[in-house]
Amino acid sequence: MILLWLIAILILAGVLAAVAGRFNAAAPRVISLAALVLDLALCLGLWGRGLSSASRWSEELSWTWVPQLGIHFHLALDGLGLVLILLTMFLGIMAVLASWNGIQRSPGFFHFNVMWVLAGVTGVFLAVDLFLFYFFWELMLVPMYFLIAIWGYQRRIYAAVKFFLFTQISSLLMLIAMIVLVILHQRTAGFYSFDLQDLLATPLAPDMEMLLALGFLAAFAVKLPAFPFHTWLPDAHAEAPTAGSVILAGLLLKTGAFGMLRFVLPLFPHAVQRLAPLMMTLAVLGILYGAILAFAQNDLKRMVAYTSVSHMGFVLLGIFALNPIALQGVVVQMVSHGISTGALFVLAGALNERLHSRELRDMGGLWETMPMLSGVGLFFVMASAGMPGLGDFVGEFMVLLGTYQATPVLSALAALGMITGACYALRLAQKTFLGPNVHHSDFPDARWNERAIAVPMMVCLLWIGLYPQPLLNMIRPAIDNMPRQAVTARR
Amino acid sequence: MTASDLVALSPLILLSATALVVMLSIAIRRHHGASATLALLGLAASFASLRWAASVTPRQVTGLLLIDGYTLFYWGVLLALAAAVVLLAYSYLEHQTGHQEEFYCLMLLATAGGLVLVASSHMASLFLGFEILSVSLYALIAYLHLQRLPLEAGVKYLVLAATSSAFLLFGMALLYSETGSMQLATLARFYMGAPNAALGAAGWAGTVLMLTGIGFKLAVVPFHLWTPDVYQGAPLPTTALVATISKGSVFALLLRWFHPAGSLAGTPVWWAFVIMAAASMLAGNLLALRQNNVKRLLAYSSIAHMGYLMVAFVAAGPLAVQAATYYLLAYVITILGAFGIMSVLCSGEEECCELEDYRGLFWQRPVLAAMFSAMLLSLAGIPLTAGFLGKFYVMAAGASSALWLLLFVLVASSTIGLYYYLRVLVVLFSSLPEDHVKVMLPRGRVPAGAGFSLAVLVILLFVFGLYPAPLWDLIRGISAGIG
Amino acid sequence: MPTSAAENYFPVLLQILIAMAVAGGMVGGSFFLGHKVRNRIKDMPYESGMVPTGDARGRFSVKFYLVGMLFILFDIEAIFLYPWVVVFHELKMLAFIEMVLFIVFVLAGFFYIWKKGVLNWAAEGNDEGKDAVRILSHDQHAA
Repeated sequence: MILLWLIAILILAGVLAAVAGRFNAAAPRVISLAALVLDLALCLGLWGRGLSSASRWSEELSWTWVPQLGIHFHLALDGLGLVLILLTMFLGIMAVLASWNGIQRSPGFFHFNVMWVLAGVTGVFLAVDLFLFYFFWELMLVPMYFLIAIWGYQRRIYAAVKFFLFTQISSLLMLIAMIVLVILHQRTAGFYSFDLQDLLATPLAPDMEMLLALGFLAAFAVKLPAFPFHTWLPDAHAEAPTAGSVILAGLLLKTGAFGMLRFVLPLFPHAVQRLAPLMMTLAVLGILYGAILAFAQNDLKRMVAYTSVSHMGFVLLGIFALNPIALQGVVVQMVSHGISTGALFVLAGALNERLHSRELRDMGGLWETMPMLSGVGLFFVMASAGMPGLGDFVGEFMVLLGTYQATPVLSALAALGMITGACYALRLAQKTFLGPNVHHSDFPDARWNERAIAVPMMVCLLWIGLYPQPLLNMIRPAIDNMPRQAVTARR
Repeated sequence: MTASDLVALSPLILLSATALVVMLSIAIRRHHGASATLALLGLAASFASLRWAASVTPRQVTGLLLIDGYTLFYWGVLLALAAAVVLLAYSYLEHQTGHQEEFYCLMLLATAGGLVLVASSHMASLFLGFEILSVSLYALIAYLHLQRLPLEAGVKYLVLAATSSAFLLFGMALLYSETGSMQLATLARFYMGAPNAALGAAGWAGTVLMLTGIGFKLAVVPFHLWTPDVYQGAPLPTTALVATISKGSVFALLLRWFHPAGSLAGTPVWWAFVIMAAASMLAGNLLALRQNNVKRLLAYSSIAHMGYLMVAFVAAGPLAVQAATYYLLAYVITILGAFGIMSVLCSGEEECCELEDYRGLFWQRPVLAAMFSAMLLSLAGIPLTAGFLGKFYVMAAGASSALWLLLFVLVASSTIGLYYYLRVLVVLFSSLPEDHVKVMLPRGRVPAGAGFSLAVLVILLFVFGLYPAPLWDLIRGISAGIG
Repeated sequence: MPTSAAENYFPVLLQILIAMAVAGGMVGGSFFLGHKVRNRIKDMPYESGMVPTGDARGRFSVKFYLVGMLFILFDIEAIFLYPWVVVFHELKMLAFIEMVLFIVFVLAGFFYIWKKGVLNWAAEGNDEGKDAVRILSHDQHAA
């Protein structure tokens, strides 16, 4: 029941914010914040109770929804889901704080969209019924589209439409794959079911399994984004408002990786093994390509967006390395990338609010007048570059370690990504915070809400970087629970 | 003709009687409100009598009409749609000069034609229903005959519909000469390839001609050319009527008698259906991309939606009839809502259907704009809305019959479709232009009747999008009898 | 006896050919052999000996169309009475009731057009009638 509340609170808060926004401009943000804090408290409570070791799911809820097609409203929580909903609530709070003062236009509707997109993301992390998963998968799309299209920067409409179309065509392919899987299951088992647990047992011919896996991967690879499908990402990230960018980079990209972990690996173990070399090659290409393009950008937000392509390459690499170390690294990388990139987008938003520009050439020497903001910025830039002691390093290191067991060559190539990462990170730091203050910019330093965002994020990154064991403990059972053949085959 | 037959026919009789009563009341004394109220009461009585009629079904009434669960279900849908159109038309016609009352009379007749079509089991009743519907529509489309566009649209529809009726009639004649029967059930047996029943050349020619007539009414490619002009020219309530009652009843007929068409897989007729479906989806969506008039845009999108429906029709698996029915229901609710909102937004004689008229609607009239967005998202097939579940069922039906080609066309074309729905959404939510002329109604003046019907449509949109199980059961029940 | 369809229809074909030959021959013959005079009078349309006046595209009053249309409508409806008479003895009471209903419908329509003033030739007195004629003739001018 608590799982339903996690989603329902967000949905209700969204509606309440929209209504309250018609009377009071400040009410929506308070309502959103309160709802997210409440949800975070619930999640922390779930964590505190500890994960059940007896059964696969430590919390479960299943209601019949459309009995004729075997569709259930089936939510379930395991360690993987718990980590990611914790991240969702945490970044949600950051997103609301980041746009505390920035939203003049229709704040009620803005917070409605933020809440609903977060509800969709939460639903995606909890759903174990394929139909329900798709439902939430699409639910997060529309509010995100509005966030970009209404509150974004100059080229917002182009970016929003591109984002929507890319995701929609790929998720329709996934929907077809889901339906075909269910029908194949019905032919062998004799009843319709969209439940993940039922479908796991479906016997599939190798070619059919490959096609279905590709259908699912289409949606997840676009969302992740994997290398050739990433072109929507720089536009969407760069044009979205700060809260939108934080949610996009921190959470929506993670849903792609989550989908692969939750559905593709268990459902199509043989196809995954056949696809692994290809996907890992794409991942390495993505790591290097993203890093090189990030280095070449002059727009701060686009630059951060391309670093995401690079970092999510590590995630993809780790998933298809198909061994427990890499998979744990993937989850650590997802969490720490969510935090560090989210923080960088908040920073970019804060700078844009002051400078009214996202161009690197309008920046430089900001340390002189904004030491606190610049110091925080440097911290997150270093985190993003994979400095040891911070979260990203742990994730990337574990992914590389796991990949080395699978294919040493790709692991070596991917390790180059950490060097290129340092290149763009240093360029970013140099062009913005360091150097002479040529533009004689003189702006106020970090405000209270920016500090309130920076401190917990830094704490989290340091914590993951220095003592990741609690996080790994949470993930470990979920990974051990994956079907053996998928994960251990290549060990 | 027995008393039970009359009971079974009571919804149809009540509806026709209402049309007559409305006409006489106009002759005695003109009053817009009175005519609308009478029409509404008649529709309500007719709807209420469905329950009564259900007590004697299934029943074949004379050789012409078959009244069973399927018929009564569609009758209910058509009557409810007609009632919603009455409510919307009332507020729309208030702004128009000229006589308003005859609209209701004609509208009831068109609905009666739809009812006959749905129930028909014989070529004669099929043609009668077809013509009652068409002839009423000629007048309804040209109802605002003092304006240029409606008149043009009316004449266009007249010429093309008459031609298509002629095709239909010729096709029936050929099929009769071949099969020796005018019963649709016999005809369907011929298509299913029953023993000792094979169609010759004349029979297939007749089939093609009949398909032409039916395809015209459904506006599937290549019989779609009238759609944009008629949708644009006709007054908004009539456009809603054409999009819902006319198409819905013809599709219900097609579905009932020819849903075993899937067993034809591989034959030329089956390919004709497949090509019609694929071409409608692609052409409809591609042509809609460049439209700047919302009515035209929705007209092209309706062509695409008929294509989606044809996918379910061609699939013909156990799911197909249910999927098609559900999709049709979702579609008529959505499109009626969309046209309804547009008609509520029109004040004065001029309709404002250019895309630019809607710029920044959200900031002026947030509730209506939000409703309109919900309708557009349903047309695009986004979850939470009935449109999504409709598309989902259609895809499930297609996949269970392994129609891969059509499914991929469906995916590609609905992505194209999404693009233009988003275009409208962007306009709704973009900022107001500087020199904005207030063409829309001032705040808070949605007439009560229209507001009520829009609210019901929006609620249904979400109910059918979130909790389809009861409706799905109902549809399964009524379609069990015809399979 | 003719044995095939071709043989059956051969006389018909022959007749068609002869008819075409006769008609073509007469028109063609007079065209080639006839004496031709061209002047203004000859070029004028033949109107039963009357001298034509005005524009050939002149308009009739809309009342002609209305009355014509109504005549056709009611005339066709009256035609249904003939077959009814023939089968009346077989169908008995049912046929009687149905015909009464049918006549009621026709009368209702008649009542409607009467009140609408379509039968009012002079378009006076009845406001509705004037209205109908005005609107209809407005169409004509606007067209």
